[in-house]
Amino acid sequence: MISRRETLVSLAALAAAAGPSRLLAQTAGDTAKPPKLIETPMLEPLVKEGKLPPIAKRVPAAPSIVKLEGEKAPGQHGGDLRLLMSKDRDARFVAAYGYARLVCWAPEHELVPDIAEAVEVDEAQKTFTFRLRKGHRWSDGKPFTSEDFRFFWEDMYEHKELARFFGASQLLAGGEKPKVEFPDAQTVRYTWSQPNPHFLPWLASPVNLTIFRPAHYFKKFHAKYADKKRLEKLNDKRNDGWVRKIATENRQARYNLNPNMPTLDPWVPKTEGVAERYEFARNPFYHRIDTNGRQLPYADRAVMVLAESKIIPVKTGAGEVDLQARSIRFDDFPFLRRAADERGFDVRLWKTAKGAQLAIYPNLNCDDPVWKKLLRDVRFRQALSLAINRDEINKIMYVGLAEPGQNTVLSGSPLYKPELRQAHAQFDLVRANRLLDQVGLAKRGSDGQRLLPDGRELELIVEYPAEGTEYVDLMRLVGDTWAKAGLKMYSKAFQRVVLRRRIVSGQSMMSVWEGIDYALIRPGLSPQDFAPTDEAHAQWPRWGQNYQTRGRQGEKPDDPAARELLGLYEAWIEADSRDARRDIWAKVLAIWAEQVFTIGVVGGVLQPVVVDKQLRNVPKEGIYAYDPGSYFGLYKPDTFWFDRTTRVYRKYG
Amino acid sequence: MTAPNDKSAAMPAGAPGEGQAPKHFVSTAPFDPYSVEALTPEQERYYLAGQWKLMWWKLRRHRIAVISLWVLAILYLMAFLAEPISPYNPNSRHADHIYAPPQQVRFFHEGSFVGPFVYGLKYELNKDTLKREYTSDTTQVHRIRFFCTGEDYSFWGLFTADFHLICPAHGGTLFLLGTDRMGRDMFSRLLAGSRISLTIGFVGVAISFLLGIIIGGLAGYYGGWVDWSVQRTTEVIRSIPHLPLWMALAAALPVTWSPLLIYFGITIILGMIEWTGLARSVRSKLLSLREEDFATAAQLMGASPPRIIGRHLLPSFASHLIASATLAIPNMILGETALSFLGLGLRPPVTSWGVLLSEAQNINVVALYPWLLLPVLPVLITVLAFNFLGDGLRDAADPYK
Repeated sequence: MISRRETLVSLAALAAAAGPSRLLAQTAGDTAKPPKLIETPMLEPLVKEGKLPPIAKRVPAAPSIVKLEGEKAPGQHGGDLRLLMSKDRDARFVAAYGYARLVCWAPEHELVPDIAEAVEVDEAQKTFTFRLRKGHRWSDGKPFTSEDFRFFWEDMYEHKELARFFGASQLLAGGEKPKVEFPDAQTVRYTWSQPNPHFLPWLASPVNLTIFRPAHYFKKFHAKYADKKRLEKLNDKRNDGWVRKIATENRQARYNLNPNMPTLDPWVPKTEGVAERYEFARNPFYHRIDTNGRQLPYADRAVMVLAESKIIPVKTGAGEVDLQARSIRFDDFPFLRRAADERGFDVRLWKTAKGAQLAIYPNLNCDDPVWKKLLRDVRFRQALSLAINRDEINKIMYVGLAEPGQNTVLSGSPLYKPELRQAHAQFDLVRANRLLDQVGLAKRGSDGQRLLPDGRELELIVEYPAEGTEYVDLMRLVGDTWAKAGLKMYSKAFQRVVLRRRIVSGQSMMSVWEGIDYALIRPGLSPQDFAPTDEAHAQWPRWGQNYQTRGRQGEKPDDPAARELLGLYEAWIEADSRDARRDIWAKVLAIWAEQVFTIGVVGGVLQPVVVDKQLRNVPKEGIYAYDPGSYFGLYKPDTFWFDRTTRVYRKYG
Repeated sequence: MTAPNDKSAAMPAGAPGEGQAPKHFVSTAPFDPYSVEALTPEQERYYLAGQWKLMWWKLRRHRIAVISLWVLAILYLMAFLAEPISPYNPNSRHADHIYAPPQQVRFFHEGSFVGPFVYGLKYELNKDTLKREYTSDTTQVHRIRFFCTGEDYSFWGLFTADFHLICPAHGGTLFLLGTDRMGRDMFSRLLAGSRISLTIGFVGVAISFLLGIIIGGLAGYYGGWVDWSVQRTTEVIRSIPHLPLWMALAAALPVTWSPLLIYFGITIILGMIEWTGLARSVRSKLLSLREEDFATAAQLMGASPPRIIGRHLLPSFASHLIASATLAIPNMILGETALSFLGLGLRPPVTSWGVLLSEAQNINVVALYPWLLLPVLPVLITVLAFNFLGDGLRDAADPYK
């Protein structure tokens, strides 16, 4: 993604201008001159009253001009974009859908500058220079400049009392902090002594993990800037009231939840506190415009209504929503499709990018010594995988439309090879039984089920998050064929948080989760989920913890294959060319296929996306993924608009 | 009490003739001082019948109760013989017939009588709605086989057999009530579920009865501090919110327990909560009965308290107990259904009506596969039948009224 061939936009112009370094710049931004701006109807009264400056003063001097071509077209202002969510913490998805970041992922798997007008990256990925837009303003009208970066860096990240809240590993390269410079109001530069390929993808993630904060807002709570008396009000028993206040405000800034805090997102939250209905109104100072000169977003408001997740398909089928994919599953499709014509919406099937819809994660760090030895034996994991009838599962659970196979790269990725997905994924009980006999499980009890080497009955306990019937059905189907291989399986549901804790502590021996988050792998995407780098990896939580904490907690990986993956991951960070990264990826995927660290079942399950018939610019086909992708964010929901001129027949209402 | 109709033949009925001195008459029949009170055979049957017999007679006159009794007898017979009656194993999947609708039983094919049969199902995936669509293929006539051999099963876990009352035709299918999302036959699952759902009532009520009679009996007979503490305990148990308690207990049952143990766990939980009402009624009855003369007599003759309670006091209101037990069973059945529906009670692979209903709780089922809601029907029928029967029993409980 960050290599030259993939990201260079206008080769000739940039090669001349930037020399050895590369420049990410927008196609539209650097060619067309800004069109004549059109005032937004919703804001017109405010402009007339003098409460808001006119459009020309609200949009940056060099706005981001969004070209809407192909199936997309420039539209009209107006309308409320209605969304359904199940919990109030899901309000953060509006920020993910809004997806205004310094750099953004584009659907072609490239990073493009967004809030930044341009980003220069040197060949070694050590120096990153961001050029901001002149005249860009926060949603409260205050200018957005390098001061906001300086404030974050010097007064938050580097502040001795606040530093503990900002420990993102992506801001460290080889354990080192960057050197940050602010040459002028529109320029910020980050320099590391070692390559940091994670920096830009991190900035483009669905959570707004920015390296800047609205300085004028945060200064009100900061000991260095605010007056003592005001700060004392924040104290309770302890004297660090302002520290905690800043930490809370910062957390809210990540998800754009605070109506009082200025933001750069397309929609600004308007609902304070906990509610059943959350409103987000347009940001009058937003930096994107369309080619006709209309400031985005098109929709005046994004309205999020809460409903129990089981009720969401019902409400969606009743046409109470304009854009919905969350809490809707593949098996709701027939129902939604039937309701679609009567209620005036479309149901589209988007691809998901998960390596596996569901995968089984043997916990290589589990407590029980006998089980640990068994689960670390690659033959045992292979046998478990071979004893799953994936075709039957695909047929029963996904009408045969998914891709059976391991939890790994999906077709559609340049690194895809069928044998990677099919490794140890055919249903072969003979081979499975032979492998199980070899690993010391040849003895069987009176009921024909296998016994552990120490004479106990073999009882596989698989734990899964208590969410919906998909997990239950899968475990039943898997359990049936495992029983044929002499493996007795029990499954038990837990709350997500509890289950995570059980896995890290080693109480849980096997768990079921979604597969690899993004399996449409590009050589430029980090292989971090394929190596023990994160405590959240259910197959090796303590090894991941060890890497994350730089050896302070957890255990050192003692499996040679896992160590090799970790080595390859570190080599990927250092690699300086796309070809080198590609080779590393190929090795990673080969080891991953042979070792079966996670047992994938089916992948590429389709995601129904419900779109109101009047809502335009939502692609017919898309990829529904969290990171990279931000779900709808990839397709810029600020460009979705309501075509009220086409009449839609609705049988009811 | 109605007075016996005096038509006794032993009474001399001679009216004195006119002006004639009455003829001296000597009866040669042996003297029977009870002749005045002699009864006809019918009367004899009625007056000498025991309490239970009277109750039965009275119940027989209660038409709805009798019908309910028949319905329940049939249901329980079906539950007992679930395996041979059902055409399939309740857990065997038919991957080619997922969400198949019920197949209608027909008798006439193209105008001629062929006996009970079903048409074959033609499966097609609707490419637009992605719905599995089934149509009857009228070229395929699958005659239902009776008293046939089919899938193997283990009867009550005792022996393996393959005899079925009805079977699908060879190469055909027989889904009388359709199939679920894994292609399992709903009719077979309903029958399998009835075994658990119908017996959980009995086992649960038996436990709560035992507890209720013992604890209530002690409280009523002894009174005083025993009574006081029992009363307070029942109040505490009754004031515990049931749902959270069930949730906690259900979570406490270990995963590795076999489904059967879980089943007993649930019945015991249900029984432990339900005994309080019964204990109260036993106690209040005993409080009044222990003052009766026969109780004092038994006491004076040196009978032990368990004997007095068990032999003298309890039988005096046993009929009431039976009526209230009958009314308690549907509560237990509903309790199991509710618990399993909420995912707290029985879990798959155990099949009960509550489990079947909990699997049907989503919008797709209501809109597209309504036959999966059928388990509601047997629950409704059973609960109603038990209530009607209990009603009849209560009326019949005091035959001397």
